[in-house]
Amino acid sequence: MSEAPLPRKQALSWRRAAAIAMRDLKSAPGKFAFVVLSVAIGVAALVGVRGFSEAFRHTLGTEARSLIGGDLSARVFGTPTAEERTNVAAVEKKIPGVRTTWVTETLSMASVPPDPVPILVTLKAVDPAAYPFYGEATLDPQMPLPQALAGDSAIVADELLVRLNAHVGQTLRLGGKQLRIAAVLAQEPDRISAGAGMGPRVMISRATLDATGLLAPGSRASARLLMKLPDPMPSGLTPPEVRKDLEKALPDAQVIDYREGNPSITEGLDHATAILSLICLVAMVLGAIGVAMAMHAHLEQRMDVLAILKAVGAGSSDLLRIFLLQTLGLGLVGGLVGVAAGLGVMEALPAVFGKLLPVHTVMAFPWRSVGAGLGTGLLTTLLFCLPPLLDVRKVRPVLVLRRLVESGPEGIGGFFARVWARWLQIVVGLVVLIALFGIAWALSDSALVGKWFAAGLAATLAVLLVLAWVALRFLRFALNRVRLHLPSSLRHGLANLYRPGNQSAAVLAALGTGVMLILSVYLLQSSLLRQIKETASPRLPNVFLIDISPDEIDGVRSFFAHQQGVTAPVELMPIVRGEFQSINGKTLDQIKDEHVPQRMLQNAELTWADTQPEGDKVLQGKWWTKPDAPEIAVGEWVAQRLHLSIGSEVELETAAMGHRKLKVGAIYRSDEFHIAGRASFVVPSGQLKGEAATWYGGAHIVPARIPAMERALFAAYPTVTVINIADMLTRIESVIDQITFVIHFLAGFSIFAGLTILASSIASTRFRRMREAVVLKTLGATRMRIVRTFSVEFSVLGLLAGVVGVIFANLLIRVLLERMKVNFHIQWAAAAVALAGTALLATGTGWIASFRILGLRPLEVLREE
Amino acid sequence: MIEVRDARKWIQNGARRVDILKGLTFTIPAGQFVAIVGASGSGKSTLLGLLAGLDSPSAGEIWLDGVPIHNLAEAQLAAVRGRKIGFVFQSYQLIPTLTALENVLLPYELNSEGRGLKKARTLLNSVGLEERMEHYPIQLSGGEQQRVAIARAFVVEPPIIMADEPTGNLDSTNGRMILDLLLEHNKRAGTTLVLVTHDADVAASADRRITLRDGLIVEDTLPFVPEGAAEGVRHV
Repeated sequence: MSEAPLPRKQALSWRRAAAIAMRDLKSAPGKFAFVVLSVAIGVAALVGVRGFSEAFRHTLGTEARSLIGGDLSARVFGTPTAEERTNVAAVEKKIPGVRTTWVTETLSMASVPPDPVPILVTLKAVDPAAYPFYGEATLDPQMPLPQALAGDSAIVADELLVRLNAHVGQTLRLGGKQLRIAAVLAQEPDRISAGAGMGPRVMISRATLDATGLLAPGSRASARLLMKLPDPMPSGLTPPEVRKDLEKALPDAQVIDYREGNPSITEGLDHATAILSLICLVAMVLGAIGVAMAMHAHLEQRMDVLAILKAVGAGSSDLLRIFLLQTLGLGLVGGLVGVAAGLGVMEALPAVFGKLLPVHTVMAFPWRSVGAGLGTGLLTTLLFCLPPLLDVRKVRPVLVLRRLVESGPEGIGGFFARVWARWLQIVVGLVVLIALFGIAWALSDSALVGKWFAAGLAATLAVLLVLAWVALRFLRFALNRVRLHLPSSLRHGLANLYRPGNQSAAVLAALGTGVMLILSVYLLQSSLLRQIKETASPRLPNVFLIDISPDEIDGVRSFFAHQQGVTAPVELMPIVRGEFQSINGKTLDQIKDEHVPQRMLQNAELTWADTQPEGDKVLQGKWWTKPDAPEIAVGEWVAQRLHLSIGSEVELETAAMGHRKLKVGAIYRSDEFHIAGRASFVVPSGQLKGEAATWYGGAHIVPARIPAMERALFAAYPTVTVINIADMLTRIESVIDQITFVIHFLAGFSIFAGLTILASSIASTRFRRMREAVVLKTLGATRMRIVRTFSVEFSVLGLLAGVVGVIFANLLIRVLLERMKVNFHIQWAAAAVALAGTALLATGTGWIASFRILGLRPLEVLREE
Repeated sequence: MIEVRDARKWIQNGARRVDILKGLTFTIPAGQFVAIVGASGSGKSTLLGLLAGLDSPSAGEIWLDGVPIHNLAEAQLAAVRGRKIGFVFQSYQLIPTLTALENVLLPYELNSEGRGLKKARTLLNSVGLEERMEHYPIQLSGGEQQRVAIARAFVVEPPIIMADEPTGNLDSTNGRMILDLLLEHNKRAGTTLVLVTHDADVAASADRRITLRDGLIVEDTLPFVPEGAAEGVRHV
């Protein structure tokens, strides 16, 4: 027989494929609502987070001068020395028209008489005639800053008024001065540059600060020089040159040019954005899995139609084209819905972040983030849908004639045959993993993070899937043994978990992932906080004293000796500031890479002790015996970093004694239960003779007695600052709470994605459920009976997802905490809340997705069949 | 022309092999109306599936107009189905979400250039459904649905029409109307018509009847003898 030419198969045009896809979509638009929602959830979270970050960064850019308070800023850690002031004056002289001002920041105690209980405040002293060069301090009631700070007055943050139950116009006792509260400081332009405050802000004028006597040589204060450059700049001078001059004039300072922004803030923003984006990516991946499951269910239901299409000449590639376009269309609609919701999330985020944000962010339409969110949403949707879509290749047109029941070979050979039949899906799975790595890389800007995220998420989902499968198998095993002893609605509800087409394992894994994410964050947060509290053992000082002047030492010692509730004698330690010139023969410039902050060596905190301090254990060498020995003892951590050993030589310079060489005589480890453990460098007393020292102290007092002690100490020594560890812990806890709230808020999107998958799965089995409900009704079941049956199914599904999530979260956090050397405890209450919460959410979602079934009349359904 | 050479079909259920067709050989020349008859389970529909390229034989060969469709790649097989064969099923197999017009249009959209709308309308008119074009399958009676299916089978003007019990779900009046439409098309357009039926009256109106039993041909009323072979026989 002569061979005729084969008919050439023309690929279905994209336009025609789109028309067919659209027709299919229009046939049951409601069915795809969950697909759209699944995509929208992840896109909304991602657009929200990245959009907010984009707006925040934009604000940082446009408000850069205000955020710094000048064109240039230089932070010195301590009060500027006379030499530094002279150097700055020399720089100023070179730039006609330049303006500078110093801003001082320190901690202090303040109270509002007649209430004698003081609180810790972060004090800022400015020259109101100059500060701020850009932006403005917003006051309530409104008034110019110079007017508010004129005379003996102060402006305070609202938090201070709340905590001291005070109001504007009252007197504030600060150091040795009584000041009038002139206004509330509603917004401080350069708050972002001031760093995290340990207490509410109090702002006073520089003249007032000098009058309070709070600043003594060696006080723990920092100062920022703000510089406003003339516009235009004098010829032959550029801002970068001025910056260089400033760096030379203040070699220990951290100089920032507004043009480059504050690197610590932008880096922090980048890290936060990366972490939060990855949390959103989890929701997006879960959403994509939901879409894939929905498309799988859709194709399963359309198997007959696919067979007809093939019978009338459609090739697999035509069908792939149609359903790819359909998926893309749904992904696009979901993405656009997600963008709209994401803009809402973006607007809501400032409220979620609460006081963590130091800047009022000006919102703008985040084009880049919208593009990133939409692109990522479409890409993940498409990639995750490819494996189920590729199944259209397996649809055999002969299905239109008869359903062949061909199970294929069994045993190990059959297993490999089935794996081989799905080789393309396996390849696509690998592509999905690589793409996930790429997306995570792009979102986090780190290949390493991308790699671990993709591997971690894939492994987590795989393990959760296995856990879910095991849980379902176990339940079925148990059910098979007791089913006839169970009430019928319970038995029926449990059996429903194994209804054909139910994607129980996938729903469990998805919902379990959300539970795991939220519970993990909670467990980590509470474990860390518990650890912080536990390590604050009774042996540790729970009150720290800072900025005690030498003439107050005896008085403070005596004060604590007579205080009630002091459980151990107060420990006092002098601190003298000095500068290391060289370490082991290397200058500081040469040891820049040794992972020891330069500031720690340039502005080193030294203490003296002629005998080994209590709590310190000498690891190498021995403590000196002569008070003027040319030796130094170094803490173990610093010694390791600087490669110091016994006999190593260091060159040290201090204000009074000038330059000298010292040999490392001892390397010690402190037990951290004593205040001496806070110093990394100890020298013999003779080496710091005549140096100006500031003293620090630590005491342990019965917590209930602390307010009384603070009151009495403030009355006697108003310039001594008390840091109550319990207050600090509360403050740290509130910051951690706020951070975890943000993470929980975003992790909530994962739960939402999981619930959408559940709803989608319920929707895809809607016809089976309708039939069941109708059959039950026909057999005389009441609505309540059907409600009970379905409720058992949903709540057990939620409960199992909770179990899976709780188990995995505990495993994960246990491993993580072990690496962090933090104790792990099972938190039964949290587990119970997670279980009950998931069961409730699943039941609620189940009913929302299937409530219409209840109202069906049997004939409606039976007639349709 | 359709040529079947020792075609076999079996399905594997675990370790058990179920033989459905046990080696069939026959040829259907172009333009012939062939009825395939046999009891339920004799392998009629399976054979039709193989002839139409809906399924592949487990062994043996199927040639369609000189094209060996038994070992064609999936895309080429789709092209054969789309261009060369029109199919009419017992249970109509219309797509429930498409209107009658869209159902008829579908093969055209999948296999041909242009819109084909006019042709689809003309065909629906010719089967008496001019008033039902925008109706969905569920809104049509069984006879109407089958007429839509016939219009769909004709729309790309395939040289072969395969019909699997096209009157099986219909009453006698509708059954007769469907059969007339198929026969009229067979005569007018000269298409090959392969029809599976267990209705003796329907089978009687065919040019040729092939009877199957347990996967084997037990009767062929007009076996095809190639011209050369016929001469050879005469010479003997």
